[in-house]
Amino acid sequence: MEFTISKKEEAFREELKTWLSENLPYGWMEGKREIPTTKEEYSKFLRDWQRTLYEGGWAGIAWPKEYGGRNATIMEEIIYHQEMVRVKAPPLINYIGIHMVGPTLIRSGSEQQKQKYIQNILTGEEVWCQGYSEPNAGSDLSAIQTNATKDGDCWIINGQKVWTSYGHLADRCFLLARTNNHPEKKHKGITAFLLDMKQSGVETKPILQMDGNQEFNELYLTDAIAHDADIIGEVDEGWKVMIELMLHERVGIGAELFSLEMRFNEMVEIAKEHHVNEKPLLEDRFVRQKMAEFYARYRGSLLNYYRNLTNTLKKGHPGPESSIDKLLVSELNKEMASFMITIQGHHGVLWKENAPVDTVWQDEFLASFGQTIGGGTSEVQRNTIGERVLGLPKDRGR
Amino acid sequence: MDFALNEEQEMFREYLRKYLNDVGQTKVARNFIKGDLQGFLDIHSGLTDLGCTSINISEEYGGLGLSSLDLVPFFEEIGRSLLPGVYLETMAFAVPLLELYGTTEQKENYLPQIASGSKKITLAWLEPNKSFNPDEVECSAEINGDSLIINGVKTLVSGGDIADIYILLVRTGEEVEEGLSLVLVDHSEEIKRNNLKCVDESKHLAELKFNSLAVPINQVVGPINQGWSLLQEGLLYLNAALSSQMVGGMDRVVEMSTEYAKIREQFGQPIGRFQAIKHRIVDMKLELETARSLSYYANWTLENSSDDRAAAIYSARSFAAEAYIRSASQNIQIHGGIGFTEEIDCHLYLKRARYFENYLGSSQDYNEQVALALAW
Repeated sequence: MEFTISKKEEAFREELKTWLSENLPYGWMEGKREIPTTKEEYSKFLRDWQRTLYEGGWAGIAWPKEYGGRNATIMEEIIYHQEMVRVKAPPLINYIGIHMVGPTLIRSGSEQQKQKYIQNILTGEEVWCQGYSEPNAGSDLSAIQTNATKDGDCWIINGQKVWTSYGHLADRCFLLARTNNHPEKKHKGITAFLLDMKQSGVETKPILQMDGNQEFNELYLTDAIAHDADIIGEVDEGWKVMIELMLHERVGIGAELFSLEMRFNEMVEIAKEHHVNEKPLLEDRFVRQKMAEFYARYRGSLLNYYRNLTNTLKKGHPGPESSIDKLLVSELNKEMASFMITIQGHHGVLWKENAPVDTVWQDEFLASFGQTIGGGTSEVQRNTIGERVLGLPKDRGR
Repeated sequence: MDFALNEEQEMFREYLRKYLNDVGQTKVARNFIKGDLQGFLDIHSGLTDLGCTSINISEEYGGLGLSSLDLVPFFEEIGRSLLPGVYLETMAFAVPLLELYGTTEQKENYLPQIASGSKKITLAWLEPNKSFNPDEVECSAEINGDSLIINGVKTLVSGGDIADIYILLVRTGEEVEEGLSLVLVDHSEEIKRNNLKCVDESKHLAELKFNSLAVPINQVVGPINQGWSLLQEGLLYLNAALSSQMVGGMDRVVEMSTEYAKIREQFGQPIGRFQAIKHRIVDMKLELETARSLSYYANWTLENSSDDRAAAIYSARSFAAEAYIRSASQNIQIHGGIGFTEEIDCHLYLKRARYFENYLGSSQDYNEQVALALAW
């Protein structure tokens, strides 16, 4: 059992720390962390940030060197996430491109596709989104109905996608569409397309979320066009490509976990400073008990993650246990945010600029509901754990 | 980063698992409940032969000279088989305290005998209708020349009838905390021992009455009147091991539920297909893995004298204690009617979980210890 990190890893951390302190947007380290809100300015700000990362050699660090990455080890990737969380770095606008589409292209894309896309993913010139869910295909993803019909060397695509994160800003889409109907196995006959979003047959409509943000979209495809050359993997075998794409998330829930740790520490500080009846909140018996329970649970989640990571390091790829991490962290995050609002008393209903404390826990609380749904609902995670970790039988219909 | 038990530790676990499988796992506890003490003593000598009772005793006293993390497989496995005995108090309380604070004479006298399996030690702290608070310890030891004269009653003493030696928390002075001492008392006919019935029948509890019992003063562990702080040190070891023991029990409980959900059919299919069952077992698994990670880390902090050891150990203990009760209860529900019978082991795990819930302090007490350790 060993938690220390090597000298080489420590040097990596120092190099990144120094780079961040010199290259984060102006005033960011001092706490002036404002991202413009209009669509155009927001997009430009985050693309500029990704360009800066790219120029510093800090975009796509896990990618092989010949594709512009730095061949980072899993531990270096972990450190990268820790540091990004620590400085509360701006979000990575091309997260999907860098962590999912890029590595999949590198492994399974054609030479032509690599030439066309790889560089632009890294620089942030082309932002990617994923076209998965549909109004009638959520957790049951293989039920998608968006249809691609062959016409010469073209494919005509019609249908509707939904919950498409960054769809309104994206230039490209990793799209799943039905090219065939298999009588029994729905996941057969699906093809993965690399779709150009900048065409008349593609329309996005932002969806206003319960937390006031507009991160995801409805995506309408009306005679949208893709070519044979835009297919990744084989026709009708897109499901395999999608599974492969998910496997590239080798450090899993790391970033969310480090954010959770930071929020826990902020919670402690607030409970120390905030007074009720002239006593710090943290001296309240109920608050102390709950906080000690949260301490055990967040430490337990973190340690679980390290245990699963140890397995990943030994095997070279994550196992189904990573679903345990996702489920634990997203559910705990929700409960912690909820508790933070409870202990603010009736002032807890104040929002935005009137929120009682700096970290807007009201936002955290509202946003936390997205985490237990997006990327596979908690129920889907439980199915995965039940079936793939414990070996329980699948329920009928799947 | 390497957060896992090492190969030797996993191999040791396999040996132990095989040995305990061969003797029927919970069968030992079940026979013990029926009054078969000898069966347990046979297993005890078997475990001794495997080296279990010498793991953390230093080599000069006949031990293996290993430490807390090496105890993890042992405590998980005996937790799994619900083994009776006082291993927790002997290996994870008396041994570390003797190693740290014992005089050479005490070490020579006790450690080799523990290693060889011939002596078992338990802790006698609680008194009738009192709490675990230091101001409620009344059992007294008065200094009389080279002797201590002990008077008072200790109750709910774990394994009271199979232990050969007690570590007694006694009042030797007036200060609330700094008036308490720990004394090694060998069992003798002069101590009136009364067995108490316990919900967990695989645990034998005893009440001990001391009526002017004379014990040599050199039986005090560490300095006189420093018993309370020694006790706190010992509780770190004990609770780290306890968290592993509870994890071992939970591991079996999750396994029982999973196995049953695969074979039990209703509505023409295994009940494990139903999400009402499947998701419940998954939630038990989540708590099990969280408890396991916390317990590994707790034992790691002891081995490495880490600054956060108190917070790590006490959070591991209170989390595991609560989670064990929850999963042992769910296990009964998942088994349905058969889970409510005596025949199936489900109830044994629930009873053990309840036994540990408030042992040497409640989850609330230990949560408070976490808060204090974090300087809240």
